[in-house]
Amino acid sequence: MDKLVIADKEFNSRLLVGTGKFASCEIMAEALEKSGTEIVTVALRRVDIENKNDDMLRSIDIKKYLLLPNTSGARDAEEAVRLSKLARAATGISWVKLEVTPDPYYLLPDPVETLKAAEILVKDGFTVLPYINADPVLAKKLEDVGTATVMPLASPIGSKQGLRAREALEIIIEQANVPVVVDAGLGLPSHAADAMEIGADAVLVNTAIATAAEPNQMAVAFKLAVEAGRKAYKAGAAAAGKRASASSPLTGFLRDTQEEK
Amino acid sequence: MEVLKINGVEKQFPAGRLPSTVTELLEQLDIKAATVVAEVDGRIIESKKFTGTKLHNGQSVELVRFVGGG
Repeated sequence: MDKLVIADKEFNSRLLVGTGKFASCEIMAEALEKSGTEIVTVALRRVDIENKNDDMLRSIDIKKYLLLPNTSGARDAEEAVRLSKLARAATGISWVKLEVTPDPYYLLPDPVETLKAAEILVKDGFTVLPYINADPVLAKKLEDVGTATVMPLASPIGSKQGLRAREALEIIIEQANVPVVVDAGLGLPSHAADAMEIGADAVLVNTAIATAAEPNQMAVAFKLAVEAGRKAYKAGAAAAGKRASASSPLTGFLRDTQEEK
Repeated sequence: MEVLKINGVEKQFPAGRLPSTVTELLEQLDIKAATVVAEVDGRIIESKKFTGTKLHNGQSVELVRFVGGG
């Protein structure tokens, strides 16, 4: 079986799904189910004292999905470490999607603070999945300090622009010894298939599913796209060329050879 | 008056009515403890330790839980 292995865990699905932006908990639960995902990301926020019914965990079956808390909102390493520890206290497991995004406009991750936080968290026993810009050097450094994956973005988060960072992603995939999860910017199933075709080990999708008119149908579409892209990668795609190459034989035409001059 | 800072907002309690533990605070606020993690003056308190964690006048309490996120 072609399993995804992250740290000490095996997964059948190569599609990670984020739980933000869904119109309701019920819609989210159905989309998660249809996507076939086994890893779902969640964020940690202050309890809304005025609205006690804001508990979304009740609609996520935590026996079925691995909860991957993110450190969204962290602006530096210190805040990310604090959020990670709070998340660990809440889940009882030590997996964390590390993200440090001080820039509010493009939400680009801070490489220096991310590396700093990763080192601290790995030493503290966390399984760290860092969200990074598509930077091959940074990806290597993170791997060296012991992160379980690298999660480079395809394009700015929520932008749905697809693989804008293609060349850098290809280098990261070529060099990585840990799974590469392409995260952020995948707006269409074809983008997800694209990432899988170039050899990504998995992808993470949130906005494209959550904000579709029919999230559960889009979840199915992404599931199939990820499977298709993975199979294509494993099958070994033939190289692209500039000129045409006939699929049918160029011999045995129904005309005399003289006419072919 | 006694005071606790809860999620960044100061909440006043009549003298002697300050919730004595994290569990009691959550009960007063009508919040289910199971899905919440607390931080009291920067120290993380797991839900199983809520009952044993005493609260005192002037402390800062953060109550967090999971929400949807990518």
